[in-house]
Amino acid sequence: MLICDEYLTPASLDEAFAAMERHRGRYRVVAGCTDTLPWAREGRAGDVEIPVLIDVTKIPELNERQIGDKRVRLGAATPIQRFLDDAALGRAMPAMPRCAVWFADDQIRAQATLGGNVVNASPAADATPCLEAHDAIVELASAKGSRSMPLREFITGPGKTQLAEDELVTGFECDALAGFGGSFEKVGHRRSLVISVVCLAVMVKLDRDGRTIEDTRLAIAGIRPVPRRLREIEDHLRGKRLTGELLEEAADMPLDLVQSRSRQEYRRDVVRGFLVRGLIAAAKRAGASPDALTQELEAAYG
Amino acid sequence: MVDVRLNATINGRKVSRDAKPHLRLLDFLRDDLNLTGNKEGCGAGECGTCSVFVDGVLMKSCLMPVAKAQGAQIDTIESLAKSGELSVLQKAFHKAGASQCGYCIPGMVMAATAALRANPFADREEIKERLGGNICRCTGYQKIFDAVELARDVQNGRVPATALLETDTADGEVIGKNVRRIDAPSKVSGRLKYAGDMTMPGMLHVQVLRSPHAHARIVSIDTSAALAIAGVESVITSADVPGKDGFGVFVHDQPIMARGKVRYVGEAIAAVAAEDALTAKRAVAAIKVVYEQLAPVFDPDEAMLQGAPVVHDYAPDNITKHIPIRVGDVEAGFAESDLVIEESYSTQAIEHAYLEPEAGLAYVDHDDVVTVVSPSQNITHHRHMLARIIDKPISKVRFIMSPVGGGFGGKEDMIYQGMLALLAMKAMRPVRLVYTREESIISTAKRHPSRTTLRMGVMRDGRIKALAMRMVCDGGAYGLSTEGVMRKAAILAAGPYNIPNVRIDTYGIYTNNTPSGAFRSFGALQTQFATESQLDIIAERLGLDPFEIRRINAMRDGATTHTKQTLGSVSLMRALDAAEQASGWEAGAPTVRGGTRGDLGHDDVRPSVTLGTRFAATGTQEAAE
Ligand SMILES: Cc1cc2nc3c(=O)[nH]c(=O)nc-3n(C[C@H](O)[C@H](O)[C@H](O)COP(=O)(O)OP(=O)(O)OC[C@H]3O[C@@H](n4cnc5c(N)ncnc54)[C@H](O)[C@@H]3O)c2cc1C
Repeated sequence: MLICDEYLTPASLDEAFAAMERHRGRYRVVAGCTDTLPWAREGRAGDVEIPVLIDVTKIPELNERQIGDKRVRLGAATPIQRFLDDAALGRAMPAMPRCAVWFADDQIRAQATLGGNVVNASPAADATPCLEAHDAIVELASAKGSRSMPLREFITGPGKTQLAEDELVTGFECDALAGFGGSFEKVGHRRSLVISVVCLAVMVKLDRDGRTIEDTRLAIAGIRPVPRRLREIEDHLRGKRLTGELLEEAADMPLDLVQSRSRQEYRRDVVRGFLVRGLIAAAKRAGASPDALTQELEAAYG
Repeated sequence: MVDVRLNATINGRKVSRDAKPHLRLLDFLRDDLNLTGNKEGCGAGECGTCSVFVDGVLMKSCLMPVAKAQGAQIDTIESLAKSGELSVLQKAFHKAGASQCGYCIPGMVMAATAALRANPFADREEIKERLGGNICRCTGYQKIFDAVELARDVQNGRVPATALLETDTADGEVIGKNVRRIDAPSKVSGRLKYAGDMTMPGMLHVQVLRSPHAHARIVSIDTSAALAIAGVESVITSADVPGKDGFGVFVHDQPIMARGKVRYVGEAIAAVAAEDALTAKRAVAAIKVVYEQLAPVFDPDEAMLQGAPVVHDYAPDNITKHIPIRVGDVEAGFAESDLVIEESYSTQAIEHAYLEPEAGLAYVDHDDVVTVVSPSQNITHHRHMLARIIDKPISKVRFIMSPVGGGFGGKEDMIYQGMLALLAMKAMRPVRLVYTREESIISTAKRHPSRTTLRMGVMRDGRIKALAMRMVCDGGAYGLSTEGVMRKAAILAAGPYNIPNVRIDTYGIYTNNTPSGAFRSFGALQTQFATESQLDIIAERLGLDPFEIRRINAMRDGATTHTKQTLGSVSLMRALDAAEQASGWEAGAPTVRGGTRGDLGHDDVRPSVTLGTRFAATGTQEAAE
């Protein structure tokens, strides 16, 4: 049970920083609360008494969304559901709607925020590999000023980030990848409400004929302490002709990705299958020429 | 504490009230506004019994601090049938038989409402996906999906509204007909009160102190600091039991609260009744217990060894129950068999996970009748046991069975009703205890974990000649239903097959694990898992179709079971035929299948790991790309 004496909902960044200053050492920041409330239960943190909770979801800057040609800026309090509701956002971040549909369930993703997912820094978080594939920059601010850093530097380990005590994550700046086809592969014990055993974000851009891979982005999570971008595979694929052999070749690159403590062999099999399946799906959504990939390949990895 | 002044519109009415800042929206709705239609099944966002609309968007109210509802429009299950007339979806749930225990149903109806609002033409796959955040343990979901499809079609005018009515029954004729359940309207509307939904004037809230140790002697319990807290009314321990302490379905080996020693992690040691749950929690934290650790035993096979720690003094060998069955001469049966196969099997503990965590309310009425209201699956037995425990004549003890929000055997044991009775007697006020999901999992019975060795002898033509089975079950710290489970496990171990020579031994063993108890099938699962698996293995070795080997050995009408019961009619052959047909079975020995199996990959077999039908349905994302 999460017990507090006061629940504050600041309406601006200044108000939030003032509250953080006033209650220094006695507060906790919350957004959607979907990680915080289950954490404060028996078997995890148990009953937790925190004098002040500061809810950042009503701060306008944290709800912004700007889509430019090159970059997308998203406020930290962006609910995951927005990636399903906002078509323009889905175009600029084409793996994100696929990720969102796998994220918790239809209800929790209306509350769960992007910022919460990143700060919680679970190795199995689903949104972080997508952000990583977009070369996301984390924007941080405190009463003293603001700074930013790449997501891959921000998350330092399971549950660990570079967030300073008096700081908030205000938002994320990501590559706009309109024109890419996106896919998100995830497996857990069931389909909804499930922690990823493996999850993979894939985006593919093809040439006009849908035959050559112009660019691609891949990032994986659930199998190591922090999400990992798969640049080796991206480099291998870029500029090559789209064929089943190429995709299988990429999936067979000896990268030794799985660092989990459990079910390693299973995860290795899944990773290989996901790489091929994710690339096929993303390529198709990117407008792959109908004869580029064979039916057999699709059936084998469907 | 700084209260939140909440201004919101709830079910169409303006509400302006102070709420404690730590409340979740669910607490505020249920406790402060008495809107108990939506439930708390897990408190962690996993089950969906608490789903409500917030500004038209369905959310899990157990994950939402009440302050987030500031200015919002909240609609609970009570809003759907406000005028008394059920919504189309609620009627469809009624018609389709979608509600069983009913505990998930308010949330499920809300999720279905949200799904059809999002896509009025959603197909079954999309409905499944959109209901993914809501769990049901009774129906297997099919009737729920049927209901949503029926409501969709009525709403879209594809089928007439009369399809929601009872169509099949002539006057008074119900047997063999498709009738609507009479309790369904109360469930689909959220009006049915489960124990945790009930309140009484002056009611106190109960919290329980539980053991952190698996096996320890209780040196002392000091409740003085707890009693000193303002708002705490009573604290009880085993010292407050006036009569002969001890309950259980077969042996009365379990005290209301730990007496002298604790035998498993999560065992109740003391209970507090206070003005509110938070005060009771703080009081529980203030109780001081001094333990002296004892060597624990966690493995039933180890518990059977000489010199193992003894869990109960009355059973120095730690055997709760041994059930032997002997038919014919198994050794001779093995000797004449063409093939003898021995394998080992194990099954794990399983939690029932009914959607309704245990809850109960107790009071002493004006005639001094100690009354306990709870979703007990066995009230008459509980009543007799409690009378002895609290030393009252049976006429002064009353059990009222509240609606059971799923039991599956898990609510047969009198785990908490005794504490409620004692607190009601001590405080002379009504008391209510509502378990958290975690408490339910840690302290209540599980399915018996088992280890089985099974030896079977068969002839080349598939006839079984002999079966020898030894199963050791972990019964955990207390007896509960173990004896009955071992008996049923043994009786059904050899399956519905004619086997001339049988030797079966089932053992229920005390350990310091969570007690095992009743669970659907009551022991049959564990032994039959072994027997049926072994038949598949043998079929493979003999090159027989798995259905065939079962038909060869099947008991027919008039057969005598291994425990000498004559069976008038046996439906096994029909059941096998039906299963073979329905599964699209590809005939032949298991060895004939491989990469080329013919019974997979059909249109009605869904791919294993997919989500996202909504993209195909709406086309928006695809079109965007
Ligand atoms: C049933 C269930 C299913 C789930 N399924 C999934 C799933 O499929 N995939 C997945 O990835 N996750 C899942 N989650 C986890 C959770 O929903 C996500 O991690 C979510 O994104 C957390 O966001 P939040 O806003 O709710 O976090 P909160 O609980 O509000 O916060 C989490 C942490 O982040 C900090 N924080 C939040 N915002 C800020 C900010 N702006 N600045 C600084 N610190 C901040 C908080 O202080 C806290 O430490 C699930 C959770 C539940 C309960």
